[in-house]
Amino acid sequence: MTRAGLLATAFATLLGATALAQEPIRIGAINPYSGPVALYGDEVARGYQLAIDEANAKGGVIGRKIELFRGDAGNPQQGIAAVEKLVGDKVDIFVGTYISAVSNAASDAAMRYSKIYWDTNALAADLTERGLPNFVRSGPYSASFAEVSANAARDLLAPALGKQIKGLRVWIESEDSIYGTSIAKRQKELLEKEGATVVGVGAHNFRAIDLTDSVLRAKGAAPDVWINTGYVPDGNLLLRTMRDQGFKPAAILLVGTGDTFETLEALGAEYLEGVAVVGYPRPDQTESYGPGAAAYLAAYKKKYERDPIAPQSMAAYVGAQMLIEAIAAAGSVDMEKVRAAAAKMDKPEKSYATGFGAKFDAKFQNTRAFPTVVQWQSGKIVTVFPKDAAQPNVKLVNLPRK
Amino acid sequence: METFFNILLSGILLGGIYSLVSIGLNLIFGVVRIVNFAQGELVMLAMYATFFCFAKFGIGPYFAVFLVAPLMFLLGLAVQRLVLQPLQNEPMMQVFATFGLLILFENSVLAITRGEGYSLAGTYSRAVIDVFGLKASVSRVIVFLAATGIALALMLFLQRTMAGKAIRAVIQDRQSARLMGINVSRTYLLTFALGTALAGVAGALLAPIYTLSPYIGGNFILAAFAVVVLGGLGSVPGAYIGGLMVGLMESFAGYYVDPALKQAIWFIIFVVVLVVRPSGLMGQAGAEEVGLREQN
Repeated sequence: MTRAGLLATAFATLLGATALAQEPIRIGAINPYSGPVALYGDEVARGYQLAIDEANAKGGVIGRKIELFRGDAGNPQQGIAAVEKLVGDKVDIFVGTYISAVSNAASDAAMRYSKIYWDTNALAADLTERGLPNFVRSGPYSASFAEVSANAARDLLAPALGKQIKGLRVWIESEDSIYGTSIAKRQKELLEKEGATVVGVGAHNFRAIDLTDSVLRAKGAAPDVWINTGYVPDGNLLLRTMRDQGFKPAAILLVGTGDTFETLEALGAEYLEGVAVVGYPRPDQTESYGPGAAAYLAAYKKKYERDPIAPQSMAAYVGAQMLIEAIAAAGSVDMEKVRAAAAKMDKPEKSYATGFGAKFDAKFQNTRAFPTVVQWQSGKIVTVFPKDAAQPNVKLVNLPRK
Repeated sequence: METFFNILLSGILLGGIYSLVSIGLNLIFGVVRIVNFAQGELVMLAMYATFFCFAKFGIGPYFAVFLVAPLMFLLGLAVQRLVLQPLQNEPMMQVFATFGLLILFENSVLAITRGEGYSLAGTYSRAVIDVFGLKASVSRVIVFLAATGIALALMLFLQRTMAGKAIRAVIQDRQSARLMGINVSRTYLLTFALGTALAGVAGALLAPIYTLSPYIGGNFILAAFAVVVLGGLGSVPGAYIGGLMVGLMESFAGYYVDPALKQAIWFIIFVVVLVVRPSGLMGQAGAEEVGLREQN
């Protein structure tokens, strides 16, 4: 070893030692870790853990190591209880979850202790609309999903169908709660602004036993593109009913769900061939769009000995990275200082593994975080949009649908 | 015109689903006088059992039904004997008990599956009958035929057999039935188990149509209550015809009015029937009150 190398090692050890001597930064991760939706809760926490491991390997942040604490919450009441418990465990900062209602209650509870709630995965627009002084959202939200679906109709689907966005016939379907209808409303505005013809807007209950009526309505309107925002069971039932009723729009675009094995199992690879889905960015995108995506995938596989279960974990990983950067810039875990540091962040898009940048608006919504579009190809999910996120050898398949 | 007939057909097939789920519920309600809130979860359990048969042993749903229904019959025996019978003299507590079972079943399945949505893969759910542009999924046609067959068989059973006559006697008046030497407790046991087995049949036949979730039972049961009220409490043909009517109304309202409003239809039916004809279309007049009367 050279003398310089020796010196560097000694220095690093010394740095590490000071980091150890200090109290660690405790981050409390609010997520469902038990019960119905625990699978994705675990997945999100894995993303946090990978970001924390990465930071700790570099000696931590502001001279302190980081530790992750889990707060189990599947509903708002549990969200509040989990925050209270973690405050008892001397947690400094909260991160969390993909369930908007839990995020809402837990961030409120964290505010009572003047602690940051750094949201990485919840989608409801009202979370940032509240103007809560401890709230930051690093990931995309419902409006970003609407925006990307409209862009995909214009730049991806219309050209693939050999058409212009102007006059493109679109049916907008959604489940009928605020989640689906708010996205559908925004999609309609954006698509009509682009000159597309919205031939119909349909809303259905996601617990409905039968959706033949919704499908026949859309079939009667003969759209080129059929867009649906919903949950897994209703999305699957709609697609099954479309198949039974022989409704074959030239392109199908699903928003939010439809990119997991749950849909593959229900419909089969053959029917799904060519179906596009707007969802969280996936590690298969190009390195230039999502720098670090490949490294993230490798780290995930090494630690958990499998592929990621869902793409939510990479958005969580990136969100935690941004949080750690904000702490470093603030030099503190203090609520106001971290928020002030977040407000100053200015990273262009394509800075993180998900392709996100970091620029927060006045309501602390990251304005440079967007979902991507994937397509089902032979039973596999392949990133196809934005174009620079897609691998160069990737081609669109089965558009228009046969 | 083709669309009209497609709506009509989809309404009839949806009605078949409602009938199938409602017959068991109505039987239990008519005889044992229990509003079985857990009926939907019994259907859900049967759906998962069917999925399990397929995923683990490769047994298709239309064979699995012959395995699942008897198992559900045994479950029904156990529930009636161990949970409901000890509460026989406290009707309110029985209702709470079925509600407790609902939560128990739902959360047990949640804990085991972690809420992942399962679907029966394979060809069962894909086959479609297409006659002059009228399209019907084979699995739904099978549900409709099964509902019709079960309604007929059950009517014959109630009319022609001794056990069926005992059940009818208990429906009419359990006190007098007991005085005539009918073993009321055993009739309850048999009826509840039969109702549970019917939930088993429904679950097995519905499994190919839906993506399974632990909450799916609740999706069926609200409509089933509307069907029971419309058709008449305790009446098998009532549940069958009520199911068809609710299915048709929902289908037409969904297409011609608004899919988001169609569930309001159930409650309109509910209220109108209760006001105009509280015993339902085919229920015995006064049956709606018997449930509230002290009956020991």
